[in-house]
Amino acid sequence: MATVSVNAPKARRLTLKRRRQLAGVVFALPAIALVIGFIGIPIGQDVYYSFTQWDGQTATWVGVSTWTQAFHNPNLWTALRNNALLLLSVPFALGLPLCIAVLLHQRVAGWRIFRTIYFLPTAISWVVLGLVAERFFAFQGTLNSIIHALGFSHFSTNLLGYQSEALLALGITFIFTMIGTNTMLFLTGLATLDPSLEEAARIDGAGRWRIFRNITLPHLSRFIQLAFVMTVIALFSALFSLIFVMTGGGPGYATTTVEYLIYQTGFNQGDFGTAALYGLILFVITGVVGIVQLRLIGSSE
Amino acid sequence: MADITFDGVTKIFADKIRAVDELSLHVADGEFMVLVGPSGCGKTTALRMLAGLEDITSGSLSIGGAVVNNVLPKDRDVAMVFQNYALYPHMTVAQNMGFALKIRGLSKSDIAAKVLEAATILRLTDYLDRRPKALSGGQRQRVAMGRAIVRSPQAFLMDEPLSNLDAQLRVEMRLEIARIQRLLGVATVYVTHDQIEAMTMGDRVAVMRGGKLQQVATPQDLYDHPDNDFVAGFVGSPPMNLLRASLESANDGLRVVLGAQRLDVPATYLSSHDLPNADGPGVILGIRPEDVEVLSGDSAGALMTRVERREALGAEILVHLSLVDAKENTAFVVNDEGALVARPTTLVAKMGPRAGVAVGDQLNVRFNVEHLHFFDADSGLSLRIRS
Amino acid sequence: MTTASTPPKEPEDPRPSMGPVQRPRKLGRWMLFVVMMIVAVIMLYPFWVMIYTSLKSEAQFLAGSGFSWISWSSLTSVIPIGQEVLSSTIVCAASILLILIVGLPAGFAFSKLRFRLSTGIFLVMVSAMMVPLQAILMTEYVNVSRLHLTGGYTAAVLVYAALGTPFSVFLFSTYFRGVPDELIEAGIVDGLGYVGVLWRLVVPIALPAIATVTVLQFIQIWDDLLVGLFFIQNTSDRPITVGLAVLAAGRTTSIPELMAGSIISALPAMLVYVGFQRYLVKGLTMGIDR
Repeated sequence: MATVSVNAPKARRLTLKRRRQLAGVVFALPAIALVIGFIGIPIGQDVYYSFTQWDGQTATWVGVSTWTQAFHNPNLWTALRNNALLLLSVPFALGLPLCIAVLLHQRVAGWRIFRTIYFLPTAISWVVLGLVAERFFAFQGTLNSIIHALGFSHFSTNLLGYQSEALLALGITFIFTMIGTNTMLFLTGLATLDPSLEEAARIDGAGRWRIFRNITLPHLSRFIQLAFVMTVIALFSALFSLIFVMTGGGPGYATTTVEYLIYQTGFNQGDFGTAALYGLILFVITGVVGIVQLRLIGSSE
Repeated sequence: MADITFDGVTKIFADKIRAVDELSLHVADGEFMVLVGPSGCGKTTALRMLAGLEDITSGSLSIGGAVVNNVLPKDRDVAMVFQNYALYPHMTVAQNMGFALKIRGLSKSDIAAKVLEAATILRLTDYLDRRPKALSGGQRQRVAMGRAIVRSPQAFLMDEPLSNLDAQLRVEMRLEIARIQRLLGVATVYVTHDQIEAMTMGDRVAVMRGGKLQQVATPQDLYDHPDNDFVAGFVGSPPMNLLRASLESANDGLRVVLGAQRLDVPATYLSSHDLPNADGPGVILGIRPEDVEVLSGDSAGALMTRVERREALGAEILVHLSLVDAKENTAFVVNDEGALVARPTTLVAKMGPRAGVAVGDQLNVRFNVEHLHFFDADSGLSLRIRS
Repeated sequence: MTTASTPPKEPEDPRPSMGPVQRPRKLGRWMLFVVMMIVAVIMLYPFWVMIYTSLKSEAQFLAGSGFSWISWSSLTSVIPIGQEVLSSTIVCAASILLILIVGLPAGFAFSKLRFRLSTGIFLVMVSAMMVPLQAILMTEYVNVSRLHLTGGYTAAVLVYAALGTPFSVFLFSTYFRGVPDELIEAGIVDGLGYVGVLWRLVVPIALPAIATVTVLQFIQIWDDLLVGLFFIQNTSDRPITVGLAVLAAGRTTSIPELMAGSIISALPAMLVYVGFQRYLVKGLTMGIDR
């Protein structure tokens, strides 16, 4: 069996420790190269191209004019505002699954089946979920039919018609899609909680709510942290599919978020320089959120 | 067939910790050498350097006469039995044992033959097709040994192989390992923190502490002639009584001051030991519990004691005694979770299983003066004059 | 909702349950069950919609009622669904393979083969998990075109692999941290070099982690839209998510057909999930425990 023989120099100096380090570098290199090449470098390029006027082929240096133009563009601010508003859905995207997970944890009859069912929508593509949601919220869609049937016809909504409502519909759909993964995550977290802790607390006389607050919740903090990160990442990336299929960013720019704006600016308008800038902004936002959650919710690795 | 030589071997870890400090030790071909000491004493590090799993900072290490400092483990032809066995979970017992041979390119039939041979010695023939997770702790330990035996190496290295077994199994396996080692006649370095294993299994035992070799000798030598107070207190159970005491002169001899009582130092010790002067720094006096005789009546030279505690072990009773009228400066200093605690001078003595003795009783004891040990009060080194 | 015949005691009673509190507890469990059923119905709603809608013809759909298989059969003439499913499969398989080949050794290296700067590099790599594709989409696209990789699946596979590598490296390294060092040392003393250790010892015991990564990445890649949209140029190489999205964007689309296509698209990921549930659960906890 061949041993590590990457250009073996005088074997005298190749101690085990050196070999181990060499193997470490060689094994990690492909991954590092791939990530640098396809993630690291493009981010750097974002920075470069944001200072240019770029149509995808030729880039002419224009300094900060792309930046100033972009920051004066109301669409950017609308998009940022939309992202911020959608961030409001995150507590629900965490809270609801938490409740459901707690319910599941009570182990009612058939809970395993329930668990499978709750996670099933996760396997569905966001595109498909978006399509179904579009049907649900559309003017002639299911929601209105229900409302109509119940007699509240003056409450009927119009997904495409009203700006704030479109965003709301988007938010609700987003929460729905995140319920599956987060519930599973929290349920697993609850399962790792030592039942003897709970029992000890109960013997000490603690009520259910107190147990939940002082024992269950702290234990779950790492899971909540992970769920938060995953949810926010999805909010800034996977949400694109929902927007693409449900609203196309509209009406107007009411449901355009930064990630959708990138697509629009780049592909539809051919303004790659600005799109690169938006990409950079998006990256910075996610980075900031990542750091903030590290401080806020729990300790890092 | 090979011998092993550590020559001033030192290991310093990145954080400036001297795990092994100038270790010089020779293991003869076929010898069973036990490295023993408390945790952190460097015994495992020494073993790992021997295996090639740790770099040697300075000094030289030789196997079979050849310096192996920079030789890779696989080229040293040593086999190792790990504390947690480290069996390959996805392979059967037979595959585990034959793995090293397979790497070296032996033919299938050769491998099968050697595996069978080792399995027979270890009584594993019924388990050859099982996976490790289907084996008991004792069986896994034997497979780990089998893996080492099969290679017919120049040396066996064992890292506390019995520490994960329950007490009874440990006793069985002690005999097994000793037997197999004698059968195969291969130099073996065996690391343990258990001094009973060390005493019963080793041809010679090397006691280590804080990275330094304290003493290497046959088990009996260690017991009878410890080189310092650490070795004296480490080897033997229950441990040797070590008493700090000053000396005073008496009738052109010396007497040990034990509180208000006195112990005459027999004349032979004056010539065989380099004792300090009277009213000097004093000594550490050592006497093993088995050499403390409980007397039924009074007798000349007896010491008066009081029973502080008793432990009934079934085969014997251990009594913890305090010397009556012990003064402060003869306190028996004990490390109690790292802190120094002064206790009334206590001696441990052994009594027969049916001796009727209760806490608070007054007992007269006599030391067997042929088995006194004297150690330097500062360095702890034995004061015995070596010829 | 039915109520017990006797006025129920305070259900939040913190006392350990004894006699009189027993009945409300039973009631509580029934209520729980009902709640969970309601949630289940909500979660299953999309499936219901898809199935229900797909079993109509266009006309029936617009009319609001009816039953027909026609949308299913006409689906193949509207979009080359078989081909698209095949494309999705190829892209998934190739991407996952690349992710495993690149990620497993790296995960092993970062956890067991410590070298200088490895901790720092590891942290940077793991934080790359958080980079959304959109942030680098444009430049990525231009780079890929310049390198002439846009033909066929190559670009998409590379991008998927790059996006999936940080997470898989993280997962593998966490998993390998739980492997005792002694095992590797035993292999070294037995005569293996590190390549041998990787291939003969590490890979065989990494099977659960491999399964977890495969399942998670499969669902993610199969269901993904963006990469397929941008990095697969030939319409004949389209994966199914893109096909559906294009279909949805077209105004002349028959909704039932769209739904039928959606079901086909959703099926593989669902099957994989149901079949490999426990690996998913394991994978999610692994990132936490260590």
